[in-house]
Amino acid sequence: MKLLGEFVKGLWRENPTFRIVLGLCPTLAVSTSVTNGIGMGVAATFVLVGSNIFVSLVRNIVPEKVRIPCFIVIIATFVTIADLFMKAYAPLLSRSLGMFVPLIVVNCIVLGRAEAFSSKEPPTKSILDALGMGLGFTWALILISAIREALGNGTILGINLSRNFEPPLFMILAPGALLTIGLLIGLLNYFTMKAKSKSRTF
Amino acid sequence: MSQLLRFGLILGVICLAATLVLAVTYEITKPKIEEKLNIEEEGALKEILPNADSFNEKTIDGIDYFEARKDKNLAGYCLRVTGAGYNGFIRIIVGIDPGGVIKGVRILEQQETPGLGAKVGEEAFLKQFAGKEARGLEVKKNIDAVTGATISSRAVTDAINKTVTEFLTQISNQVRHSR
Repeated sequence: MKLLGEFVKGLWRENPTFRIVLGLCPTLAVSTSVTNGIGMGVAATFVLVGSNIFVSLVRNIVPEKVRIPCFIVIIATFVTIADLFMKAYAPLLSRSLGMFVPLIVVNCIVLGRAEAFSSKEPPTKSILDALGMGLGFTWALILISAIREALGNGTILGINLSRNFEPPLFMILAPGALLTIGLLIGLLNYFTMKAKSKSRTF
Repeated sequence: MSQLLRFGLILGVICLAATLVLAVTYEITKPKIEEKLNIEEEGALKEILPNADSFNEKTIDGIDYFEARKDKNLAGYCLRVTGAGYNGFIRIIVGIDPGGVIKGVRILEQQETPGLGAKVGEEAFLKQFAGKEARGLEVKKNIDAVTGATISSRAVTDAINKTVTEFLTQISNQVRHSR
C-alpha cells in the first residue's frame, strides 16, 4: 500500500536524524540518557503529528506569503500543550529535558515536514509522514542515548551495567555526542552502500 | 478585500484559535502543576528544618512564610523569597532560626543559564548560607559568587538579605504591638 510507504520512509530510508540530518541540536543535547531520549522523542512526535494535521488542514486557506508565521503559531501551540502536560504529569522528565522542550518549536524536523510535506499533501498522508518521522527520530534518539549513557555513565535507563567499569565522562558531554552521531551516520552509510553494491552485481 | 487585510485576518483567526486552545490547556493542567510545586515546597521545608514537626503557613506584609514548631515551641521560620535573576524569577525557600541566622536555602524554580547561573541551585553554592546572619549577606563580603554567574549569585543573595530583613522587622513590630 502506497500510504504505508509514507509512514515507513521516516523510519529508515528518510530517517530525520541519520539520513536527512535534521534536528541535531536537541539530539546532541538530550541524548545523555535513554529516559531523556524517549521523553524527547515522544514529545517531538506528538508535536509533529498534531501540528502537521493542522498545517495540512489549513494548507489551502493560508496564503503562501504568511505561511511561515501561521505554521510557527500552530507548532508553538502544540509545543506549549506538550510542555504544560509534561510539567503536570511528568515533572521529573520536564526538569531533566529543561529548555529543550520549548525548543521543539525550532526543531527543524517539525518545520521541515510542515513546509516540505504537510503544506502540500492531504491530512491522511501528513499524519502518516509525521508519525514515521517522529518514530524515526525517537529510535535514533534511543540508539544514541543508549550508547552515550552506557559508555559515559555505566547505566542504561538508570540501571547499573557493571560494577568495575569507570566510564569516560566525555561521552556524556558534547564531544561524546558529536562522536557518536558522526560515527553512527558513517556506519549506517557504509552498510547501506555495501547493500546497494551487492544488489547491483546481480 | 485588500491582500494585507486578508493576510491579517487569516493570521488573526489562527492566533485566536491557538490562544483558546492554550487557555483551556493551561486551566486543565494548572491544578496538577500547583500540586507538584506544593509537594516540592514541602520537601524543601522538611530538608531545611528537619527537627520541626509542624509548619504553619502565614503572611505578613506580603511576605509568605511558614512558622515551624517543634512540640509547640517555635523552631524557626521558612520564607518564600523571589529573586530577580538573569533570565527570570528565582523561587527560593530560606529557613531561619528566630534570631535571623540561616538554617538552609533551597531553590525551587529558576531559569538561569544551564552550567553557569543554574549552579546557584547546587549544594556547593547554597551551603555557604547556612550559619550566616541573613541581614548582612553580600556577595564578595561573605558569600562567594558562582564563577561567571555574578548576576544570578547576587540575585539570590540580595533577595534573601532584603526579604529576611524586612520579615524580621515586621515580626518584631507584630510582637511589640501584641504586648
